[in-house]
Amino acid sequence: MEKDQKGGQSVLVWDLPTRVFHWLLVTAFVMAWLSYEDNRYLDVHTFAGYTFFGLLIFRLIWGVFGTHYARFREFSYGPGAVFGYIKGLFGEDMRRYIGHNPAGAWAIFALIGMGLLLTISGLFVLGGEERHGPLAGIVSFRQSVPFRETHEFVAWMLLALVFIHFCGVIVESLFHRENLVGAMFRGTKLADTASPSVRPHRLIGATIVTVVAAYVIASFAGYLTAPAEQPYQPFKGPELAMNDPWTEACSECHLDFHPSLLPMRSWEKLLAQQEDHFGDDLVLDEATVSDLLAYARKNSADLEQSEPAWRMNSNIAASDTPLRITEVSYWKRKHEEIDAQVWKRNEIKSKANCGACHLDAKQGTFEDADMRIPGETAFDEIEWLKALFGTTPK
Amino acid sequence: MKSRFGKVVVVALFMALAGQVQAGVVDTLQQEYKAAGAGHFSAAKGEQMWIEKHKDADSGKEFSCQTCHTADLKKPGKHEKTGKVIDPLAPSVNKERLTDIKFINKWFLRNCKQVLGRECTPQEKGDFLEYLKGQ
Repeated sequence: MEKDQKGGQSVLVWDLPTRVFHWLLVTAFVMAWLSYEDNRYLDVHTFAGYTFFGLLIFRLIWGVFGTHYARFREFSYGPGAVFGYIKGLFGEDMRRYIGHNPAGAWAIFALIGMGLLLTISGLFVLGGEERHGPLAGIVSFRQSVPFRETHEFVAWMLLALVFIHFCGVIVESLFHRENLVGAMFRGTKLADTASPSVRPHRLIGATIVTVVAAYVIASFAGYLTAPAEQPYQPFKGPELAMNDPWTEACSECHLDFHPSLLPMRSWEKLLAQQEDHFGDDLVLDEATVSDLLAYARKNSADLEQSEPAWRMNSNIAASDTPLRITEVSYWKRKHEEIDAQVWKRNEIKSKANCGACHLDAKQGTFEDADMRIPGETAFDEIEWLKALFGTTPK
Repeated sequence: MKSRFGKVVVVALFMALAGQVQAGVVDTLQQEYKAAGAGHFSAAKGEQMWIEKHKDADSGKEFSCQTCHTADLKKPGKHEKTGKVIDPLAPSVNKERLTDIKFINKWFLRNCKQVLGRECTPQEKGDFLEYLKGQ
């Protein structure tokens, strides 16, 4: 535990891995906050989450095997030390710690603990709701709800904690007239000879940067390399059953909407009144109708075989038998922010034209990140990007 | 050179065959219609009916075959409600047209009901085919 007064010597306090960890963690945290709201950026959000998690795991290891000031036992202070430190700030005794001060140390432990809680609850949400990641399918859709609530709550708590940590840095910097933010970049602080200077461990720092850079490329290179007619799909949903007679019959006039988008009773009613299918007579023969029904019954929304099936089904009252997908409250809520002008675009035209924006509409998986509005880029869609850079030239 | 020549022959044979199937299918259907009481078939009459507009009883909108198939049969059409692209109807650009009896029957039934509000008579269907096969 270092409690030195400011000396005249430059000492390396934060080795390169610790600094790289800190700033990559900040970046991932910001990235996750910016990408959580719009489903389209789920791939960015999960990238940020995995990076955040990986960095925390590294920090746990570095807290045991790392250099002097990075080791947990170097900044394990009891409540008395924290209280004494805070009291000191208001009195005469402004102690200066070269490594983490007691209050800062508690913040670090809380940040790491809550960060782990955040990312692990996130993994449960990803596995339960989206059926992706290592926990895919282990948690059911319904079981994932409390994990989602935990994830959101912890995210806000962590944001508050980051704010407190940031305030602490400012206060400490002012009290001791030193730039602590700069120290987290340079790694050095002024200290007397009693404070050891640590090894920089440049190789380990460079390795972390390289691994994260490779992960960036693996996650997002597809956006640049995919041909325009076959846009990149960051997520491939669970494979749902397809059926040739269904595809053939439906796609004669419109998208072959997957049966998992409406409950069994809806498909039964639609096929029972096929001579007046939204005004048209389908003139399907009996054998075809019974084939279509058999397939619809085995794959309807009530069976909840996919996220969209679960969402649609749990938003339809048992007494309701919607005949249009666009009648369902969940569908309406998900599409309410889309401007009327956008629907009129040539590439879209109809609300039944799911495939215009959803790259996997035909497969029925409707992956969050597999959608884009034709003719628009992220620069048109995201408010803060638009504010920063304006819209991209078409 | 030899293989390219081979390809040309295969393609030519295939096209001729497709033409044969087309002629066969249209003939078969027109004979059926005659057996059901239709008389001489006229491409001009077919075209006239193709363009003719009909008022939809419910919506009050006017529809013709061209509403979806557009004025140029060699170009793709578009489903009036769903916007789904319809392949060109002219056999001269779409070899698959007029080659499948079941398909033709199904769409005569659907489209006549949609546009005319009733099934077409054998005479009308024969006239339509007479017009379409020359496109």
